[in-house]
Amino acid sequence: MEIQNTTNQGEATQSDVATNAVVTKKKILIIDDDENLTSVLVDKLNFSGFEADFSNDSTLGLQKAIETKPDAILLDVKMPNMSGWEVLEKLRVDSWGEKAKVIMLTSLDKPESVAHAMEEGSTVFIVKTNYTLDQVVDKIKEVLHV
Amino acid sequence: MNVKIKHLGISLLVIAFVTIPLYFLTPFLIDLFLNPQLYIKIGGFFNNYSVSDFQVLVLSILTYTSVVLIGYVAYLIATASTRAELVSNFQNQNLLASKFELEELYENAPVPYITINKDAEIRGCNKSALRFFGVVPEEIQTKNLFAYASDEDIELAKKINDFYEADVPINKQEIRLRTKNDDIKWVSLSIFLTKDAFTNEKNGLVTVFDITEQKQLDQAKTEFVSLASHQLRTPLATMKWYTEMLNSNQLGEMNPKQKEYLTKMYSVNTEMIDLVDILLNVSRIEIGTLSISKQATNISEIIDSILVELASQINKKKIVFNKKYGDTSFVVESDPKLLRIIIQNLITNAIKYNKDGGSVTIGMEKGFGIGQSSITVSDTGLGIPKEDQERIFSKLFRAKNVKDVGSSQSTGLGLYLVKSVAGALGGNISFTSEENVGSTFTLRL
Repeated sequence: MEIQNTTNQGEATQSDVATNAVVTKKKILIIDDDENLTSVLVDKLNFSGFEADFSNDSTLGLQKAIETKPDAILLDVKMPNMSGWEVLEKLRVDSWGEKAKVIMLTSLDKPESVAHAMEEGSTVFIVKTNYTLDQVVDKIKEVLHV
Repeated sequence: MNVKIKHLGISLLVIAFVTIPLYFLTPFLIDLFLNPQLYIKIGGFFNNYSVSDFQVLVLSILTYTSVVLIGYVAYLIATASTRAELVSNFQNQNLLASKFELEELYENAPVPYITINKDAEIRGCNKSALRFFGVVPEEIQTKNLFAYASDEDIELAKKINDFYEADVPINKQEIRLRTKNDDIKWVSLSIFLTKDAFTNEKNGLVTVFDITEQKQLDQAKTEFVSLASHQLRTPLATMKWYTEMLNSNQLGEMNPKQKEYLTKMYSVNTEMIDLVDILLNVSRIEIGTLSISKQATNISEIIDSILVELASQINKKKIVFNKKYGDTSFVVESDPKLLRIIIQNLITNAIKYNKDGGSVTIGMEKGFGIGQSSITVSDTGLGIPKEDQERIFSKLFRAKNVKDVGSSQSTGLGLYLVKSVAGALGGNISFTSEENVGSTFTLRL
């Protein structure tokens, strides 16, 4: 209970700051090889007041992340060439990427994937089929404290 | 050969024993025959008998009889040992025959056998083992058995070696071995402890069953499940998000009919996702890849999140929910993901097979040991007919009275999954039910 209280307070102060400051759109980068999924996610995030960008290739996505420094990254686990875990590993080596907020996206729901996500220091883990778009947006807001 | 020589020797010995005394006795016997009057006289045998002659007679007779007796005894003893030898030879031949038979079995057995010494160095092996490793006997002898472990399993090999050193037999340990051609083979390895017949030192008889094919099949099945879970779920997730987007009015207002159709699409898609989830979980259980990670799990949180997910179904059937538990911090040591599968299936069934406006009651009781905590889900629905109750947890079984109801959503897998997962968690599921009154399912953990 105590832990929940502190996070609630944390959220409150964060959103206070957001309303007091000039509203700048939070930048979200989506790295997922599935073009259909990225396109609907980009639309949803743009409608929900974010500035969404995407990459359908993991290597280019990693480059884009380090160049554009988004506020949060939605990262697909299963991608050709380089998997989401490898992207995350490489990202954590970067000085900025070390603290980047990453939300892992997956189609799998194996418990070990979740454990893996925790170990890798990723903040949230989303199983695509279990989440509605609204819930995805809520999760991003939760991670960004807005 | 030996036996014949012995017989010849014994015959000569007997002849010598008979002829030598005869040689000494013969002159006296001839004398007796030619001059009987010297020895036998009517009326006075002893009077006319000289002392020395009498002594010679007695001595000769005694010598003769004793020598014949000794000869006979010697003959008996000699032939007895020969007879014993014959018997033992016969037994030896039997032993040799069974030894040969055993050797044949060992050599030609389809299972690779290897014998090792106390340091796990290979002393010998059968043909099957040579074939398995792709070597000739000289190449394998005196090498350490565990040097054949593949790089991935070196640690495991060390562990097995430690067990062997501590005189612990190894039973069906799965391990990868490397053959001469650098093929990696999965084997089921066992080591039986034996003792050397002469030195009494510890030896090991090792069997290595090749289970590579079996492992490959398992791997193929696991890969299929993983592939299916990705390939089936990705398009379903895409569909889910597109219909949600269309339905959200963010892309423009829809007319009521369009909205109704979209809502239907959305709910059918959700059913499809649930079905794929159930199929995948059933496959995982059957293949044995269902992984369990236990942690402190808050059950009331799980129930709440399920109720949120099922809100539309609950509202549609106007189901009244009763929570018969005050303590919301009900925590058990279990796998939250698997526990959720069980509770979700029970609650979904309680809604699906309920009457409109019926009620569902969820109860919890916390205990302090295994099987002491319980979760119950009761409904006021169709119930399970008596004759179907025995088979209700069977795979693909559906009770008679639900076959017409909601046939599109019923797979016959739900309760099978519940029972399997409960078993995997070390729990147990039971129920009481009466047709047209309702059912109560109890999960014990």
